[in-house]
Amino acid sequence: MSRSEVLVDAEWALAHLDDSKVVFVEVDEDTAAYETNHIRGAVRIDWKKDLQDGVRRDFVSKEAFEELLSTKGIANDDTVVLYGGNNNWFASYAYWYFKLYGHQDVRLLDGGRKKWELEGRELVADVPTRTATAYVASEQNRAIRAFRDDVIKAIGVENLVDVRSPDEYAGRLLAPAHLPQEQSQVGGHIPTAANIPWSKAANEDGSFKSDADLKALYEAAGVDFAKDTIAYCRIGERSAHSWFVLHELLGLDNVRNYDGSWTEYGSLVGVPVALGDEPGDA
Amino acid sequence: MSSCGAVVGGVSLDRVDIAKEAVIQGVVVNQGKPAPVGYVRLHDATDEFTAEVPLNSKGEFRFFAAPGNWTVVTLVPGASTRTKVSAALGVVTDLDLVVA
Repeated sequence: MSRSEVLVDAEWALAHLDDSKVVFVEVDEDTAAYETNHIRGAVRIDWKKDLQDGVRRDFVSKEAFEELLSTKGIANDDTVVLYGGNNNWFASYAYWYFKLYGHQDVRLLDGGRKKWELEGRELVADVPTRTATAYVASEQNRAIRAFRDDVIKAIGVENLVDVRSPDEYAGRLLAPAHLPQEQSQVGGHIPTAANIPWSKAANEDGSFKSDADLKALYEAAGVDFAKDTIAYCRIGERSAHSWFVLHELLGLDNVRNYDGSWTEYGSLVGVPVALGDEPGDA
Repeated sequence: MSSCGAVVGGVSLDRVDIAKEAVIQGVVVNQGKPAPVGYVRLHDATDEFTAEVPLNSKGEFRFFAAPGNWTVVTLVPGASTRTKVSAALGVVTDLDLVVA
């Protein structure tokens, strides 16, 4: 998989705004952002309302995903270009989610909404109407999704990559610093996990660093590319960003995203937890 | 499950127990007016990125840090600033950041 097959820049986007087989999708948790303005022709997917089950903590079913994409006017053979706020965290999560349900051609807009805004590019309020489709999803591809038991078995065996900020990894913060810190889970990280913050993979404008820089980043942090890898963060969206780097940009085969992440692991009874800046022992 | 998403302007302090938080907040001013488009990043004592929020329409932002030293980085179209700040538990630190 080459970078150009999974990542597009603003010039590519501008050249395809009126291409009926290219669907731009803004993915945010903050619904006000899309309502204020968005890239011309873009439809919206709401991270919480559209992609979460709503009762149990899990994803929507295959049938519900099919209905969502059909309603949004996305066909199986469309090129889907995802972008959003938070440096593309939720767009990366949606990318991984689209891959989980087998969509063939998905790409990220490099830098997401932030780079687009900081470059002063056009955003509009008009909401497009797209003709409904009859989307058919695949069964979930579990090869890219890790569950808690996979993670516990991976301690000291596979690469565990904690992509949260150093202070969250060490247990000094319990959530990203734009959120209140009073949280129900304990602080710390999964023993043996390397701390490679998602932000080290991105430039200040939110775009991804070069493949050479990314490879050097993970190697320097001790990630053995010959081993399987599980990435996690707090709820699985920042780690989807790092999954995108490892699996899609660097082309590693066996990389899974643990979407339960620290909000699950840090609440489990009886599992090992490491505190401080070092990975800790298995 | 609560999301990790950054709320425009930062999470409101309503219903937040300030005594348990080390708040860094403020307003970004560009050309004499609050910047309506822009982002503020919080870097830790080693200058590693920790969090980012988009400005609200009044140019405001808010972080919930840990006690200690931080750097606040502003990004608005065509300009950027860096400001060092200390945070302490139970204290709301207010900043006026002039980028141009």
